[in-house]
Amino acid sequence: MQNKPLSFSVDIRLNQRRNLLNFDYSIVLTVFLLGLFGLAMIYSASGSFTLVLRQAMYFFLGVILMITAAMSNFRKMEPIYLNAVWIGFFFLVLVLILPNSGTTNRWINLGFIGFQPSELMRFLLPISAAAYLTRNPQIKLSDWIIVLVTTLVAFILVFLQPDFGTSAIVLLSGIMPIILSGLPWRFIIYSFLGGIGTLPFLWMSLMDYQKERIYTFISPEADALGSGWNIAQSKIAIGSGQFFGKGYMEGSQSQLDFIPESHTDFIFAVIVEEFGFLGALGLFLLYAFLIHRLLYVAKSSNSKFAKLVSATLSIILAAYITLNISMVVGIFPVVGMPLPFISQGGTALVVNMITIGIILSLRRTT
Amino acid sequence: MNNFSRERFKTGEEYSRALFFLSPFILLFSISLFQVLNLTLFQGDKYQTIAESNRIYQKPISPVRGFIYDRNGTLLAENIVQRDLYVTPAYIEDSAETILKLSNLLDVPYELLDENFSRGVKKVKKFDSFPLVKALNEEQIAKAKVNLDSISGIEVKATLKRYVLHEETLAHVLGYVGDISSDDIRRDKLLAELQNTQIGKTGIEKEFDYVLRGKPGIQTQERDVKGKLVRILDTQGAEDGKDIYLTIDQKLQDHLFKLFENRRGALVALEPKTGLIRALISSPSFNPNILNSIVDTDEVESLFSNKESPIFNRAISGQYPPASTLKPFVGLAAIENEVISWDKTIKDDGEFYVEGDPRPYRGWKENGHGRVDMRKAIAESSDVYFYTIAFDLTLAGIRPMLDSFGFGKKTGLTDFEANGLLPDKKWKLGYKGDFWFKGDTINLGIGQGYILATPLQLAMAYSGLANKGVIYQPQFIQPEDEKSFEPKKVAEIQLSDNKAWEKMEQALVDVISARNGTAHKVFDANSVVIAGKTGTAQIKSILPGKEYDAIRENPALRDHALFVGYGPVEDPKLVVAVIIENGESGSEVAAPIVKSAINFYTGGFDAE
Repeated sequence: MQNKPLSFSVDIRLNQRRNLLNFDYSIVLTVFLLGLFGLAMIYSASGSFTLVLRQAMYFFLGVILMITAAMSNFRKMEPIYLNAVWIGFFFLVLVLILPNSGTTNRWINLGFIGFQPSELMRFLLPISAAAYLTRNPQIKLSDWIIVLVTTLVAFILVFLQPDFGTSAIVLLSGIMPIILSGLPWRFIIYSFLGGIGTLPFLWMSLMDYQKERIYTFISPEADALGSGWNIAQSKIAIGSGQFFGKGYMEGSQSQLDFIPESHTDFIFAVIVEEFGFLGALGLFLLYAFLIHRLLYVAKSSNSKFAKLVSATLSIILAAYITLNISMVVGIFPVVGMPLPFISQGGTALVVNMITIGIILSLRRTT
Repeated sequence: MNNFSRERFKTGEEYSRALFFLSPFILLFSISLFQVLNLTLFQGDKYQTIAESNRIYQKPISPVRGFIYDRNGTLLAENIVQRDLYVTPAYIEDSAETILKLSNLLDVPYELLDENFSRGVKKVKKFDSFPLVKALNEEQIAKAKVNLDSISGIEVKATLKRYVLHEETLAHVLGYVGDISSDDIRRDKLLAELQNTQIGKTGIEKEFDYVLRGKPGIQTQERDVKGKLVRILDTQGAEDGKDIYLTIDQKLQDHLFKLFENRRGALVALEPKTGLIRALISSPSFNPNILNSIVDTDEVESLFSNKESPIFNRAISGQYPPASTLKPFVGLAAIENEVISWDKTIKDDGEFYVEGDPRPYRGWKENGHGRVDMRKAIAESSDVYFYTIAFDLTLAGIRPMLDSFGFGKKTGLTDFEANGLLPDKKWKLGYKGDFWFKGDTINLGIGQGYILATPLQLAMAYSGLANKGVIYQPQFIQPEDEKSFEPKKVAEIQLSDNKAWEKMEQALVDVISARNGTAHKVFDANSVVIAGKTGTAQIKSILPGKEYDAIRENPALRDHALFVGYGPVEDPKLVVAVIIENGESGSEVAAPIVKSAINFYTGGFDAE
């Protein structure tokens, strides 16, 4: 902005008054709508008031953290953001060391609260990466390499839990700042080809149940009563919802427990069964609007850090939404990802809301 | 301005690159939307039909829990059908009206049903059912069956529940069962597929749960859109649990349980030559059926909060000072270490002094027993005699003998038993923060002070006396053929003079048979000959200037009464340890039970 001295000083004063509460209220409203809708759907899908109450407490915590993050000055927060990734690493290592209760090591239990460190990492990693890459005016090749190595370590730690879906997201969340910050295209293309080359090795390191999910996706009929069952039931639920849906709490598929994990990963099927195509369309529009407004921050900001952070976090959010929905409607393998702001699950909800808060703060201070 | 300058370099490409990498997601997002459109509109009718048609459902079938029998094949625990009234909220139009109808029909208070209903509704999904009234009685079942059709959303479901036949008598041996908790599943993943099944929580039910439990089957059912069963397509039967035969002799157990008359105490009766447990009692007891089918939560609550702790198994987990019942082992240690000989006498004038300490160690009999040798010291339970030999033996002389008889160690009968306590210098320094004094050794000589033993450990130690040094592994599982059964030896104690066993036995026989024996009151010419030892365990030490009479005014501080014995002496069939808490006199309350047990078991005069 080329301001004249006088108007500039007026602007500053105006800014100072409105400063703290100057965020994009359309984003806040959208998040509220999604969160409250999620609570209602969790109740319909699980029938458990306790679950809803617990999720509502996380939602409340999320709102407080979102507002707090939105009111913070990201320039003052930069040194903190730069080192935030170590917190993520600490918990990722801890979760692998601690004795586990099942076949997977995903949870840290603090007694009163449990959370998934991988969810934390996919949000801390891009922020630290962006802060690191923009700490000097010029990005050196070594900066990119250091971020890449950090990302790969985080990826492997999550992959070892094992959590295939989230590890892919962690990889994406670390690589995005590298690519967006101006890595020459030829590097990007070489890495992409190299990545394809490692696919066979990746396949070999998958757990049996993960391989099975991919087989199932390729041929769902092969195992109609096993893993294919989930997809088949989910499709029946969605299709039988038709245009207007069966009505809230009236979905026979969801209410009769035909849909597995109906209040977490498969909650979208419950939504379409009960609210029909119209409900799905409404939800799609809300999500599209949210991503659009979040990306606008990346477009309009004149801080490189802000651009990197908001663009990466928006892409991650979009990835979650898209992969979850495409999995539930049966056009993508089951990877076990929650639907942002709606699926039951405290860590994901709180992390997503802090993400929104940080993007809001980036917009305000530009 | 510094902040701005350091970022004033080439920007702008971030946004366009972000859009580029977002494009695959946008594409997938659009395809998903199209897929939703495809499923709901273009194929909506088809899926609607599928959703409304009958569906295949897989339901686990619970295995039948194995029965438990005693050594003679008497049934101890079985399963009975319990009918519960289930309600499905989705099919109820007016809950208040339904509850009122049911309340009148089944004669259950309206408030109770209303509370159960509102609690249950919160827990389950709309189309799921939950139990409204558990364990219906015959009359309720009959009435419910007649009127069921007029009330929608109500059904009577039958499930198998554990039922223990002899209720209180065997509660601690058998234990109880309960629902599978998430903690149980964490410990044992196999349990996850056993929904709606009970598993053992304590006792034999828990210890041998893996035998009794069985494996669940799967039933493939066809259900209509409302979730109602249409027909059964396929059944993979459950593998039922296996039955268990216990070493317990139900008749003996029953007989002895009555003798306790609900007094606080415990009994362990086992065959010294095999280690097979024939009776095991902890009193007061409880009715395991209350816990097996949780009908009334108040009753359960009162079981767990009862001050007499009926759930606690005193026979294997109760730890008591063995008191004078320890004397035979101290005596053998003294003979073995040549601290004293069988014939040497010690003058017992009622008090024992350590040089340089003016405090007396008092015997239980005010003026003492006069000159006593080992045999008399055991028969009359002279404290001064054992103070003297314990002082001469020192801790290092006593401990190895007690250790070899199993004091302070688990016997391995179950996973739930207590260790007891065989103290040493290190233990006292660690737990009491103090050195081991001579006085501690002197107290140990009469089984007081720090040493603690479970009734099971006492019975085991005395089986060593009965077997002349050999102790067998105790067990609850009845061998298929007792005659060819080869019990496992857990200890074989060698004495340098083999005659010592007989001499000690003679002293133990004197306890009852000799005129001055501490348990001569129970002497009976018709009884088989029993060797045993009384014990009176002090709970509170008598401070100088205070008399026991002042202490005994508080019944909870009265001495515990013990008696451990075996018989018939010529061919020991049974060893029995009895403790009656605050029973004061081993000869008056504990010895009669031991005598009765041995005579009953060997077919003597007490048998019916």
